[in-house]
Amino acid sequence: MRIIQPRQQLIEIWQAFAKASQQDEKWVWGGRDQPNSVSDAEQLLCLMRPATEIPMFKLDKPNETADDVLEALKNLGDSVALPRRLIRVLTEYMETYTDETGTPIFSAGPYLTSTTPGQEPTATQLSRLSVVDSFAISVTLSLATIGFVRVFREVVRRPNLRQEIDTLERLAKKRLSAAMLGLLRSFTVNVFPVDSEPGLVLCRTVNQVGLPRRQVVDDLQNALREINARLRENVTIGSGTGLAESLENPNKLFECGWSWGIVENAPRVDVPKEVGDQPEGVAESAPYLYFTAVALDGIRALFSRRTRLLGLLDEQQQRWAQALQLRWELTQSYWSTIATFGTGIWPLEDIPWRTTDNVESDYFTLLVTSIVVQHLVTQRRPDAELARVGGVLEELANRSRITRRPFDEDPALNLHHPGVSFNLLGSEKVGGPQLRWTVTDFSPVLLRRVLHLAGLLRDVSLRDHMLTLAGRIWEHLLQRRISEGDGRNLWDNPHGVFRSLPSGDLRPSWYYTRRVIDCLITAADLVRAQPVRNERLEHQASDLLAEAEHLFAQERLNSLFHSKGIEDTLKNIEDRLSRARQIMHERPGTAAVIAQDVLRDLDSFAAARQDSTGL
Amino acid sequence: MLVFAASDKGGTGRSVTSCNVIYRRALQGSDVCYLDFDFGSPTAGAIFHITHAAHGTHGGLHSYLQGKSPEPRRLDVWAESERASLRNRPPGAGRLVLFPGDLGGGEFASNPDIVQRCASLFLRLNEEFELCLIDLSAGRSYAVDIVLAATAQPELRQVSCRWLVFHRWTRQHIIAASNLVHDERGLVETGAKRGHDRQTLADSIRFVRTAVVDPHSSDLTGLRPSQVAWLHACNQKLQELAGQMKVGRTNLLGSIPLDPVLQWREQLITDSDVWIRKIANEQTVAAFEELAKRLVDDAAWESL
Repeated sequence: MRIIQPRQQLIEIWQAFAKASQQDEKWVWGGRDQPNSVSDAEQLLCLMRPATEIPMFKLDKPNETADDVLEALKNLGDSVALPRRLIRVLTEYMETYTDETGTPIFSAGPYLTSTTPGQEPTATQLSRLSVVDSFAISVTLSLATIGFVRVFREVVRRPNLRQEIDTLERLAKKRLSAAMLGLLRSFTVNVFPVDSEPGLVLCRTVNQVGLPRRQVVDDLQNALREINARLRENVTIGSGTGLAESLENPNKLFECGWSWGIVENAPRVDVPKEVGDQPEGVAESAPYLYFTAVALDGIRALFSRRTRLLGLLDEQQQRWAQALQLRWELTQSYWSTIATFGTGIWPLEDIPWRTTDNVESDYFTLLVTSIVVQHLVTQRRPDAELARVGGVLEELANRSRITRRPFDEDPALNLHHPGVSFNLLGSEKVGGPQLRWTVTDFSPVLLRRVLHLAGLLRDVSLRDHMLTLAGRIWEHLLQRRISEGDGRNLWDNPHGVFRSLPSGDLRPSWYYTRRVIDCLITAADLVRAQPVRNERLEHQASDLLAEAEHLFAQERLNSLFHSKGIEDTLKNIEDRLSRARQIMHERPGTAAVIAQDVLRDLDSFAAARQDSTGL
Repeated sequence: MLVFAASDKGGTGRSVTSCNVIYRRALQGSDVCYLDFDFGSPTAGAIFHITHAAHGTHGGLHSYLQGKSPEPRRLDVWAESERASLRNRPPGAGRLVLFPGDLGGGEFASNPDIVQRCASLFLRLNEEFELCLIDLSAGRSYAVDIVLAATAQPELRQVSCRWLVFHRWTRQHIIAASNLVHDERGLVETGAKRGHDRQTLADSIRFVRTAVVDPHSSDLTGLRPSQVAWLHACNQKLQELAGQMKVGRTNLLGSIPLDPVLQWREQLITDSDVWIRKIANEQTVAAFEELAKRLVDDAAWESL
């Protein structure tokens, strides 16, 4: 198994990134996918996320940029040229995805494919349909950009460069506002009768012990009572509002989360003009698990420590962030309640997860897992429950053939290629065929969840277990790297690990590479945290140290004062003991080793004396 | 173009680095000259191995500036050097001329006549040579004062002037170099008093680090791992300090590695020292060449 080394890996990826993103001194947009607002943001985040989230990778203080980072990115410019370059490329992105009226565009281009054979998506569909993926990634990218320019501006003096920076910040702010509005207008609460198909599927999912249906419905409604009440009373702006009456109906159940885009008839949010237009929505008003997970991820950045410390949001945005945070909390508790419902095995453990529109896939289980983990953390639930989620992740790694060998024509490989698709209901309403969204990111999403979970576990052996699993998934990902051509050392080439899958495209997929980088950032967070406190080890160190100190005191008493040869050794031992004492609580293992070392040295004196009797 | 080489402390390797850089520039094909304005100890002749001018000459820069001689003495290094590898101009190389100080010359205070003579010399040499490197005495010396006053003269306004401040890569040297430029008696303030525009002058100053132990170098394989770890940590601290003191990477023009030949025998490093006798390091020459190129590369002088 390989231990993940985020710094070394990220440097290698950045090197490849710099090569792939630049040709003839020019920035190259898009790799495998034609440029679009999602893919281009993914490409930029490959650089911007590590640069803004891991201190060793920062680029905003040119005087302090690390040497290995500069070396990796030298293709894009030196420490002074690089941030300047970034400012320009980021500005180009922001300007490209703004329409003639000044409204930011959140289209997904070729990420959308047709469900009808022979009928291609129309130009309007590709360039004008806003998708939640783009909202979420724009939140992340805009926040990273604003934070970056805030710090970088401090070292800039030249007026024209300062102007460029101001323009970029203004554009990023606007995009952030528009993306937040988009998220507020794509949130949805889907209410359905208990005996409708969704109602039946939901009951089957939560009823793992075979209770009578009426009782299950009662229990479920009870468990969701608080969420239901807050949805009725506190969700007041954007979509998902005005459902008080049907939510109160005891013969109905509901689910909440994000649809794939702005939902049909989503009310406009009252905002000042300069944020741009708020386009009409067409998306079906029902949550999609994938987009829900993506939206939750993006929204979390809005109230991260960094966002608060750097004060990245203005007043208006802070109010929207609160509104989004409320939806974030409610959605998370909703799905966690469902996933861990009942007293027997959890619905989550009943793989694969079945969505209320009656589709099932391991991928959905993975998505629900990520929501549940986040919730368990905020609830401070015990390690044992986290370990159950760990069990699910482990099972998923098996079932997706990451830790098990596939058999001939193994259907599980469809998860990796061609991927899991879901139909975007309502996308046909702007003219053209109904569209489909396809995801192939099972492995990196799984790895990120495993790493995240490992970081939360306090029990050493459980944690170690998760890290071992993470190492195996990482190895799988390394084998999927592209090994030649433009995308060398970037992703994704599933053929590298599954020989039966087609190989071929050597161009980098920013979609996939960005997700791998997200994993490495999670890994870096994990490594940067203090080692888990281990009481057993601490006791052992303390015992050893006590004995060592006592024997040392005895040795002091026994040896003559000013005896040069011994004095030096004893001084050295004293220093080592005080070092061990100093680090005892943070690094009990190291302290124990030092104590052992000292004990051995002291014993050589004792043994020598014993020998002096000549017996 | 006029390039002034300054340093706060002695022993930074200012003269020997400047000589090497100008030599590399000549090899790269430019006509260049070197003016020894280190009035306290005029020893540039020694670095170029011109023995008869090792400690200055008669009728040198001292005499000229003080009005005792109509023209300063000039020595063609390709012709006068006693070092075999320096004799005879290599094909494609430009002129390399040394203007030494006076034998036994010392520091002298500035006056308007001296400033005038200095300005007219700069003007003439700037037309004759592509690059004139003026090596100044360490610290806040009379030499610094004279050239700041001379370059502020109206006739020199159009001549492009650049400043290199040399310092070693240590805490004390970083602070000293920063103060030499930025404190109330520093280059920028003194220049402003002489009539320079503060910002323009500040933009034309860059730092050169000398005798740098590169913590990433393969030469450090002899060190214990813990020593290398310590070196990295120190280097990072210095980098942060340098950034705060405005001596950081954004104001850096070049970095010269520590080289025994420079330490023990202050001399020009020729290609034969590297390739035939193998006493000097390849990286050192590469650093000189890089610096010689960046010196005249406008992009390297663009600021943030």
